[in-house]
Amino acid sequence: MRGLGGFASMYRQSYPSALVYMLQGTEYQARPYLAWYWRTSDFSTVMRRRKLDRTKPARLLLGAVTAVMGLQIGLGLGLIGLGSLQPDGGGMIVLGLALLVLYPVLCAHMLVVPLVLGRVFITNPAEKRLIVKSAALFASHPGVKIAVAGSYGKTTMKELLRTVLQEGLNVAATPANKNVSSSHAYFARKLTGREDVLIIEYGEGAPGDVARFTAITKPTHAVITGLAPAHLDQYKTLAAAGQDIMSVTTSVEPQKVFVNAESPELASFIKPDFLAFSKSGALGWKAKEVQVTLQGISFTLTKGRRSLRLTSGLVGRHQIGFLSLVATLGLQLGLTPEQVQAGLAKTRPFEHRMQPYQLSGAWVIDDTYNGNLEGLRAGTRLLAELTAVRKIYVTPGLVDQGGESEAVHIEAGKLIAAAKPDIVVLMRNSVTAFIEIGLQQAGFSGELRIEADPLDFYTNLTHFVAAGDVVLMQNDWTDNYA
Amino acid sequence: METVAVFFGGRSAEHDVSIITALASVIKPLELTRKYKVEAVYIAKDGAWYWDDKLKDIKLFTSGAIKDYLAKAQPVAVQFDGGLTLVKPNGLRKITKKIDIAFPAMHGTYGEDGALTGLLDMSGVPYVGCGVSSAAVSMDKVLAKQLAVANDIPVSNFLTFVKADLRREPDQAVKSITVSLKYPLFIKPAHLGSSIGISRATTETELRNALEVAAHYDDRIIVEEAVNNLIEVTLPIIGNDQPRPALLERPMTQSEDFFDFDTKYMHGGKKGGKGGKGSEGNDGAQGYSQIPAELPGDLYASAEAVGLRVYKALGCSGIARVDLLIDSRSKKVYFNEVNPLPGGLYAHNWAKAGVSGVDLVQQLIILAKDRHAQRQSLATSFSTSYLQQF
Repeated sequence: MRGLGGFASMYRQSYPSALVYMLQGTEYQARPYLAWYWRTSDFSTVMRRRKLDRTKPARLLLGAVTAVMGLQIGLGLGLIGLGSLQPDGGGMIVLGLALLVLYPVLCAHMLVVPLVLGRVFITNPAEKRLIVKSAALFASHPGVKIAVAGSYGKTTMKELLRTVLQEGLNVAATPANKNVSSSHAYFARKLTGREDVLIIEYGEGAPGDVARFTAITKPTHAVITGLAPAHLDQYKTLAAAGQDIMSVTTSVEPQKVFVNAESPELASFIKPDFLAFSKSGALGWKAKEVQVTLQGISFTLTKGRRSLRLTSGLVGRHQIGFLSLVATLGLQLGLTPEQVQAGLAKTRPFEHRMQPYQLSGAWVIDDTYNGNLEGLRAGTRLLAELTAVRKIYVTPGLVDQGGESEAVHIEAGKLIAAAKPDIVVLMRNSVTAFIEIGLQQAGFSGELRIEADPLDFYTNLTHFVAAGDVVLMQNDWTDNYA
Repeated sequence: METVAVFFGGRSAEHDVSIITALASVIKPLELTRKYKVEAVYIAKDGAWYWDDKLKDIKLFTSGAIKDYLAKAQPVAVQFDGGLTLVKPNGLRKITKKIDIAFPAMHGTYGEDGALTGLLDMSGVPYVGCGVSSAAVSMDKVLAKQLAVANDIPVSNFLTFVKADLRREPDQAVKSITVSLKYPLFIKPAHLGSSIGISRATTETELRNALEVAAHYDDRIIVEEAVNNLIEVTLPIIGNDQPRPALLERPMTQSEDFFDFDTKYMHGGKKGGKGGKGSEGNDGAQGYSQIPAELPGDLYASAEAVGLRVYKALGCSGIARVDLLIDSRSKKVYFNEVNPLPGGLYAHNWAKAGVSGVDLVQQLIILAKDRHAQRQSLATSFSTSYLQQF
C-alpha cells in the first residue's frame, strides 16, 4: 500500500526515469521488473545506489514512456472534454478521469508488452539459433573443456584457472560473469579452434540450467566449487540446486570431476570416483606451511619427494583449496612447476572479492560480490584470524535466499559473532532482524550499528576508520533488492 | 541530543580553506556520530553570519551558488542569554537554537586568532580548540617565537618589523636585515596561516619584493633565517593538560621549495600542478607528505618532545599543529610556528595515528567540555564592599 507521498511520486517528473531505471536494473526482464514495481512504495527514492545509465535503449524507452504518458493524459482530457459536450457523456468523463489518475500505473505496465513481445518473437529465437550453432562448435572443438559450476566461487575459480594455465597453454574463458547459454554461444563464436583449453562458467539460476549448459558445451572436465543457498526463489530447496549443479558430472568422466570437499552441502552429492580438493590439498598433493596475511598467502604443495612452494595475492585461508586444485590441474595438463609457480604468483584478488585496500590507514577487505553463506563463513573466519586494533564487520545480508532467508541470516549472525568483531554494521532491510537474532544467540557483545542509508555509510567509511582497523565488507544489495 | 554549532568561513584570507575544513572534516564526522545536532554557521567574507542546513552542502560553495544564496538569505543574530542562541528571522516569526558546544573551524584572522573564542568565552559556551590567549599568541609568529625563546625552545634567528616602519624607512629595514641575518631568508606576515604571503629570498631584490608582499597581508612582518640542511616536519597534537601527539609528518617538497599555500591546498598537492616538481603525492597535503616522517636515530623523539613543549609553553588546548625545522646535520630541532586550528584538523594524519575522523571530533568535543568544566570551577567573583563606598 503506497502512502500519499509514494502515490504522489508517480506524478513527479522523475517517474519515467525511475521506470526505465528499474527496467535497466532488472536487465529488461518483465517479471523482476514488475515484482520491483509492485513492492516500491515511493518512486522518488528508487535511484539510491546509482543513476539511470542513459544508454541508447534507455533513451529510446524514456522517450517512449514520456510520449505514451503524454498521449494518455491527452486522451484523458479529450474524453472529459467530449463527455462534457454530450448529454450522456458521463461514462466518457469517468473514463477520462480514470485515465488521468491511472496513467502512471498503466504506462508502467504497458512498457512490459514490447519487451515481452520482443523477447518472444525476436531475441529468444535469435539466441536459440545461436545456441544451436554453438553446440556444434563446442562439440567439434578439440581442446580441453573445463566447466566451472557451483553456488559460489565460480568466477574466482575460472579466473584462477585462466591466469595459471595461460602460463603454458592457449586458454580461452567466458568473459566476466557472462555465464548463461546465450553468453556461452557468443563466446563460442569467437573461438579459433586452436585453443588448448576452454574454461566455461555455468551461472545457474533456475532448475535445469546446468543440465542445459552441459548438453550444449559438452565439457571434458568439471570443477564444482561448492553448494550453498542461492537462487532459492527459483530452486526452492538446496537439494534441488545441488541436483542441477551436479548434472554437469553426467557427461564428464568421474576422474575428471573435481569437487570442493570443504563445502558441507556438497558432501551428499560426491561420488567415490570424483576427485576432491580442499585446504589439505588436491589430486594427491598435500598443502602445508600455510601463511596468511592481508598481502596474500603462501603455502607448499608436496607429493612424495616433490615439493612446490607457492605464493598468491589472494587473501584468506579458504583460497588454499582452489589454489591447490589450479596448481595441480595445471601440472596434470602439462605445465612445468615453474610455470605453475609463476602463474600462481600472478593471481590477485578480483574486484569486490576478498579484495584488500587501504583507507585512512585502515585495511578494508571488499567482499561485496560475495552472495552466499559459504563466502560469509570464509570471510568471518579470515576476520577472526587477522589481528587488528578494531575489527569491523559490515553486511546488508544475503539476497535471493527464498524461504531459507530467516535460517540463513540467523546462521550468518552466529558466524559474524564467532569472528568477534568489535563493531558490526548492518544495513536496515528485511533480513536485519534475523542477523540480529543470530548475533544475540551467539552472545555478540560488541557495538551494533544499523544504517538506514548504505550508500551514505559506504561513502563516509573513510571517516569511521583509522590505522589498526580491519574492515570486512561482505555482500551487496542493489536497488532492485531494497 | 546536544547541539554543536560549527563556525566557518570568516573575514580571513583562509576563508575558503575553512569551508573545506568545516564541511569535510568537522560537520560530516560529527553527524556520523549520531550524537549531536550539528548546526552550520557560515561567516561570509563581509562578516555577516548565516545559519542554515543548506550551508552543509559543498556544492553550494564550489558551484558559486553561494553568491545567490547570500543575496537572498537573512543573516542571523546571536542572543547572549546566559549562553549563546542563534536567532534567524522566518517570516513574522523567529527561529532560535541554543548552542551547547561551539566548534570553530576557522582559519586566520577573526577566527583562529582568538577573536571568535573571545566571543564564545563571553557567552560561556564550551568550544573546541585553543583559548583566547593561546590562539592569539599562536597566530602571532613574533609573540610565539618570543614565548618559545623564553621557554628555552630553539628558534631560528629572526627580526620583526611593523608595516609603517617598512613603508617609512625601507632601506633601513633592509640594511638591518642584511647585517643581522644570513640568506636565504623567509619573510612572513606575522598573523596569517596556510603559508599565505610567505616568500623566500636569497638576494636583496627578492627581499625587498618579499617585504612588500608580506606587508600587503599584515601590519607586522617577521624575517627569519633559513635553517640549513633542512628537514621540515609538522606535529598535530590534541589534548588539554596531557597533550597527545599524532605522527610527525614531513612535507615532501623539493629543497628549493617550501610548504606554501599552493603546495598545501592546490594542484592536488603537487606544487606547480601537472608536470610540476612535486613527488608522487596526489591527495593534497596528505598525498604530498611522509607519515610518519622517516628521521634518523633519536631525531623523531627529539622533534616530538619539542612539539609537545611548544604546545604546553603556548598554553594550547583542544587541538593545534606545531611546525618544526630540523637541521639534519647538527640534529637540532627549531620551533617554527603553531597553527591553533590545522586545516582539515589534519584528520589524515590522525587516521594514520589510529584515530578516525569520527573519533577525532568526538574527542575534541570531550576536551572542550572538560576545559569548560575546569574553567567553570574557577571563582570569577568575590564579595567586596567597594560599591558601598559610593
